[in-house]
Amino acid sequence: MRKFFSSPTAVVGTTLLTIVLFAALFGPLIAPFDPQEFHPVARLQGPSATYWLGTDQFGRDLLSRILNGAPATVSFGLFSTAIGVGVGSVIGVIAGVSGGWVDSTIMRILDGLLAVPDLLFTLLIVTVLGGGMEHALLAVAVAFTPGMARIARSAVLSVRTRDYVRAAVARGESGFYIVTCEVLPNALSPIVVESTIRVSFAIMIGATLGFLGLGAQPPSTEWGLMVSEARQFMFRNPWCVAIPGMSIAMAALGFNLFGDALRDALDPRRSH
Amino acid sequence: MTVSLAPAPTDAASSKEKPALAIRNYSLSYKTDSGLVTALKNIDLTIKKGQTIGLVGESGSGKSSMAWSVMRYLPPNAVETGGAIRLAGEELLDYTQRQMLDIRGSRMAMVFQDPSTSLNPTMRIGEQIAETLMRHRGLSKIEAFAYAEAALARTGITRPKEMLTRYPHEASGGEKQRVVIATAFACEPELIIFDEPTTALDILTARQILDLFNQLREETNVSALYISHDLGLVSRVVDEVSVLHHGVIVESGPVDEVFRRPKADYTRQLIGAVPNPDRWLGVDAPNPPKTLVKLDAIGVQYGAPSKFQKMFWPDDAEKAGYWGAKDVNLTVRKGELLGVVGESGSGKSTIAKVLAGLQDFHGKLEFDGQSITSRKGIDKSYRRRVQLVFQHPDASLNPRQKIGTIIARPLKLYGVVPREKVSARVAELLEMVRLPADFAHRYPHQLSGGQKQRVAIARAFAAEPDLVICDEVTAALDVSVQAAVAELLVKLQKDTGTACVFITHDLNLIRQLAHRIAVMHHGKLVDLFDRDDARSPARDAYTKALLDAVPVPETLAPETITTEA
Amino acid sequence: MTRGYLIRRLLAILLVLVIVTFAVFAITAILPGNAAIMILGEYATPDAVAALQRQLHLDQPWYMQYYSWVSGILLHGDFGMSLRLSLPVSQVVGEAFLNSALLAVTALVAVTIIAIPLGALAALKRGTAVDLAIGLFSYLGTALPEFVTATLLLVFLAAPNSGLFPAGGFVAPWDDMVGFASHIVLPAVTLGLILLAHVSRQVRSEMSEVLASDYIRAARLKGLTERRVIRRHALPNSLAPAVAVISLDIGYLLGGIIVVEEIFAWPGLGRLLMYALENRDLPVIQAVTLLLATVYAVSNLISDIVIALLDPRVRYA
Repeated sequence: MRKFFSSPTAVVGTTLLTIVLFAALFGPLIAPFDPQEFHPVARLQGPSATYWLGTDQFGRDLLSRILNGAPATVSFGLFSTAIGVGVGSVIGVIAGVSGGWVDSTIMRILDGLLAVPDLLFTLLIVTVLGGGMEHALLAVAVAFTPGMARIARSAVLSVRTRDYVRAAVARGESGFYIVTCEVLPNALSPIVVESTIRVSFAIMIGATLGFLGLGAQPPSTEWGLMVSEARQFMFRNPWCVAIPGMSIAMAALGFNLFGDALRDALDPRRSH
Repeated sequence: MTVSLAPAPTDAASSKEKPALAIRNYSLSYKTDSGLVTALKNIDLTIKKGQTIGLVGESGSGKSSMAWSVMRYLPPNAVETGGAIRLAGEELLDYTQRQMLDIRGSRMAMVFQDPSTSLNPTMRIGEQIAETLMRHRGLSKIEAFAYAEAALARTGITRPKEMLTRYPHEASGGEKQRVVIATAFACEPELIIFDEPTTALDILTARQILDLFNQLREETNVSALYISHDLGLVSRVVDEVSVLHHGVIVESGPVDEVFRRPKADYTRQLIGAVPNPDRWLGVDAPNPPKTLVKLDAIGVQYGAPSKFQKMFWPDDAEKAGYWGAKDVNLTVRKGELLGVVGESGSGKSTIAKVLAGLQDFHGKLEFDGQSITSRKGIDKSYRRRVQLVFQHPDASLNPRQKIGTIIARPLKLYGVVPREKVSARVAELLEMVRLPADFAHRYPHQLSGGQKQRVAIARAFAAEPDLVICDEVTAALDVSVQAAVAELLVKLQKDTGTACVFITHDLNLIRQLAHRIAVMHHGKLVDLFDRDDARSPARDAYTKALLDAVPVPETLAPETITTEA
Repeated sequence: MTRGYLIRRLLAILLVLVIVTFAVFAITAILPGNAAIMILGEYATPDAVAALQRQLHLDQPWYMQYYSWVSGILLHGDFGMSLRLSLPVSQVVGEAFLNSALLAVTALVAVTIIAIPLGALAALKRGTAVDLAIGLFSYLGTALPEFVTATLLLVFLAAPNSGLFPAGGFVAPWDDMVGFASHIVLPAVTLGLILLAHVSRQVRSEMSEVLASDYIRAARLKGLTERRVIRRHALPNSLAPAVAVISLDIGYLLGGIIVVEEIFAWPGLGRLLMYALENRDLPVIQAVTLLLATVYAVSNLISDIVIALLDPRVRYA
């Protein structure tokens, strides 16, 4: 652990992640204003003593809106990744463990799905399901599944040829024991690392969907939607697009840095 | 070439000829998280013109650090704490990196351990030799290539011109090492450092490279520092030797002197650990011999072409599958130790995999009266009775399980002992392989290489098998550890009566242990003989070549061994 | 390069495309509601709906629909008629494709030219302020979604009165080169930023690995100048991995282009797709998706060939 925090990546990543997770958990409780409350006299203001981060076109307090939007944005990233990773890992592990024609068939289908860019895939699914936060979440999860399956499979494959797995095969262990006790514990860390980094992508895609009007719907305080709603007024008060934009970047950066630091810490070959 | 027994002359101004390399009272440390770690301490070493000095030590002895110090190519965390390194009287420690650029490759060169990683994979071999000549000799491209061709020819490459246009991956390991050597000799340097130049090569290739080295040394009168862990090998190429242990030179002197009358304890220990075919370690041969396993026309085809491939690319399909082993007939007797010897790719490990049930095979396996014709036909009782120990203990122990869990697994899997007695049995097994009982609570990464291999052996013997297959189990270990592991195996064999198939490339070692030796070459069994018949004229030509290629430590006379004991 | 290698790669791509057609078809086929009703509106007469269904082959089983769609593309290059624009899909998509290609290629070329030297520089200056600055930039770059970058760029560089660049729109280069250039800057920068950040980071790590390799050490110990070690030994060996990274990132670029075109009103495939999605213009959605996947697959093939040319070990594999 001490070693983990010796890298600046880990320190900055963990700090950002703590802030973001704190906002996601307690944001609505500590917000100074009601996020939907109009302050007609204080519209499109910059930061001030009353409104720390300024106000939007209706005079709503940006800080309160950001804090209220944090749970939606962060949980979107976490849940969509969790579903995508869960389903993808199961598929990938099945492919990697069974090998042979099962593996080839699954891989060919995944190759096909991976040829469709993530965002395009998500857009198609959202269109099929109809917009809204839950559907967008599901769409991102589905779009993530092939990529995660591939990573899980290669993690399993790289472990499968290790001597300790061969030793288990030579001992005559059951397939179940080999997968659960020898392969999975050792294949887990690349999957965990990749999922952490994927959360940042999920947050970004979720916000993008909100921005395009296909994700969260008004009057939600989801950050992507906030940027979209404030766009008309951005020349009059840049703060109202910059604040939610930067919040998204901060959340994504936190997960990204933390994932990278985790990878360095878990992979002795990469540590310098 | 004269071997001087007199103490090395000091390089006072009065001495007429300055030594090619003089290291005086040199010390080196590395900065680490836990403070300064000493790598080399008060090193004194002199290489006279035309002389070859051997530097012998096990891993971690600091022998590679010595090479980097001389080449002035130290990592940023290196701290030099005094001394002098002089090349023909010039103090290298005073030179800047820029000045060293002109010396490296031109006056000093280096030959590395692994030729497959020390050549640039995306550059043609010709350019890799020529660039040195262009840099240091100021030759034009055409001149440099002509020179490079001559340099390659000198190293015994048959078609040097063709070799110039090849990429490294198109050359064999031996050819690549010749290229590296040609590059090192290209600018006719005063000093060449050889860092384990044959370790990564096969037995026969290594022998050829060694001969080449001796030939070039005589032709060019170059001075050389020859770094190796292999005492037997060093005794064949050097004039004087220094033994390095934990960064300190514990003994140095003429080769014969050091080997015949070693003074330092460590040297004696090292010499004692070198496998000597004349020193029998094994157990008594089983009498009368009874067959345990019979391999009947066993064959393994790797990358067998699919039906689809046969249909559309019959030409490719023909080449696609190659036989890792073909028509191997062999028996293993109860209680014996059968040595299987061969170079890499000879099929010796393939046979291990077949026996351990890890490889699909053609042919028939007869085990204690039971006849098995495919990998799927191998049942759990066979798997209990035949255990496998791998080459790399780092890889064969699951890094996420404790030693106790690892050793207990076969006990639980086969129900060798009742559940409540498992932990007691684990302790016994640890004791059997001479490890403390509290190791059961450790993880593999907390153990040294030799200790890990003992754990792997304990796991194999936990199943109380009839046959243990040892696949190069000592190859990844240091000389002294290697000897201890081999002795442990023999002891366990003596105690349990288990038969053992010992797969190795080390002929000297196997002649100390095995009752019978099988020789494999290109997937085929070419020879099988009793240990005593190793030197018989009836041996296969390939066996003879192998036996001739290994440097039998001639200078390690038996008397040395007895004085040690 | 062996013939077998090329054939294998081509076959693999064909297979991928077949699977993509299935996937695209499946997704569009399960669009909720009856497409004909959706197009004609809720108050359409049953006769009109039935007629449109026949026109769209919606009255046939799914495999017949799939067959007529695929055979139309393969045999006649016919993607059908756009339901909303009343134009052949191939014509609509063709124009948009050209515009998108201009944008994507500009961004990609810029990224390649900047990212590789940037990554190499970071690896060479490892641990210094330069490395740190490049690392910081690349982390920030990968954390900014396109729509945020675009919005911020618009705020600062395209304000109504003082803006340096137009806030959106498209001018064809063959009509007005200067106008084209000024219009493409912001979309191309937006599109390239994430890629630039990602590629330079990957190149840095590849280059670091190469710099730590035995053959670089061997080259240095031959006394070669640092300049030659970097240019002739280290760089060529990190190029192939860099190309591999870029080719994988093209998938990302093709996703990003949708958002960027939408924001900057660039009349390309992305904008067309958004329009088609909003209007449930099935044939257009199918054609655009298939086209983007094909571009991605083909660019992967090209990168495989480039890698084989750069690395002799792959060439003969």
